[in-house]
Order: sequence, then structure tokens, then C-alpha cells
Amino acid sequence: MTDFARLLQALAGRHVDFIIVGGFAGTIHGSATPTRDLDIVYSRDSRNIERLVEALAPFSPYLRGAPPGLPFRWDVGTILNGLNLTLRTDLGAVDLLGEIAGGGDYRALLPHCDRVTLFGCDCFCLKLEKLIEVKKAAGRIRDLLAAAELGALLEERRKSS
Amino acid sequence: MDAIIEFLGSEVDRTLLRENLELTPEQRVLELMALLGAAEEFRRAGETLAGTR
Repeated sequence: MTDFARLLQALAGRHVDFIIVGGFAGTIHGSATPTRDLDIVYSRDSRNIERLVEALAPFSPYLRGAPPGLPFRWDVGTILNGLNLTLRTDLGAVDLLGEIAGGGDYRALLPHCDRVTLFGCDCFCLKLEKLIEVKKAAGRIRDLLAAAELGALLEERRKSS
Repeated sequence: MDAIIEFLGSEVDRTLLRENLELTPEQRVLELMALLGAAEEFRRAGETLAGTR
């Protein structure tokens, strides 16, 4: 089971600059669709990548779906050479995204975030309106289904406020 | 695409969304983790049952 609380505490504890996106951001906003992974957009600043490496190192990050024994080093160079990494860790699945379709990178997304406190951590979470936009931009069937649910959620939220 | 999303949105069970909107963000995450934990237990139980056949 993904331990979202400990993952967030690990990242925030090392002062990693990240934004919660994807299905978990939907959960934070009130989506009823379960998700098993934590999707974050991280700042590609080299100091931030160092903090990200330190934050997840204790939890044995490894490429999700890759066969065991593949030469994989969890270090700054690996992240700098990649952009989006899908990982499994001892705390559950984590997707590290350098940028996302329809939204761009950390800096571009930051103005479209809410601040939310979860398990004692101050985090940035993509606003519901922007989350719908990026789901539409992703364009896969499951993203359209998610966009539909999030759109309904936005309507319900507006009715109740 | 918007027409498709609008149609799909008409099929969404809004009662669950309204219930979630009554919760805090942290409560929503705790509910998700409880759900995932239960799913994991069901999976293990299924494996145990399959092993006894």
C-alpha cells in the first residue's frame, strides 16, 4: 500500500520543491477515484534534485516495471539525464515528472497551485481547474474520464460554496 | 472533446463527491489509504484462498 503520508513527509522534510499533480491531487480536491501512486512535478534546479535524491534514498527507489538487477543508480546524474521517472519505493509508487502536458514545468505550474497542509507538511497541489486542463491535454481515455469526474467535482464545489 | 467530457460527467456519481467535499484534504487522503489497505487485504485473502484449492 502506498504510504502517502510518509512520502510527503520525506519530501517536505528535505525541503524538496514539488507540486502534487495527477490522481492524488484529485483525491486532495475530493475525487472519489482511487489512485495508488504519488505524482509530483519537481523543480529541475540542481540543488533541488540533490534534495530529492536525499529524500527518497532511504526508501530504495527503483524503476517501476523494470526487471530486477538492471543497473540503476539513484543519484543526481540519473535524474538530470532523465526527465520523468516512474519509480517504486518501499513506501509505494512515485512518479517524478519534470514537466507535464498542458502544464509545463515546476515554475510554470507554481502560479496554478493551492497550498495545502497534509500530515504536518506544507505542500503545493495543482488547482482543480488546472488539473482538469492537464487531464484534457493528456488526452488518453482514462484522462478524459478523470477530467469528467473532476469537472463534476468543480461544479459541486461551486454549488456548495 | 468537451462534448465527450460533458457526457461522461453526466454519468458521474455525485453523491460520493458531495461526501468528499465535507471532508478536509487530509481526511480524504486517510480515506484513500484505508481503501488501499482494504484492497490489499482482499488481494492477500484471495491469494490464500487460491492456494488452498
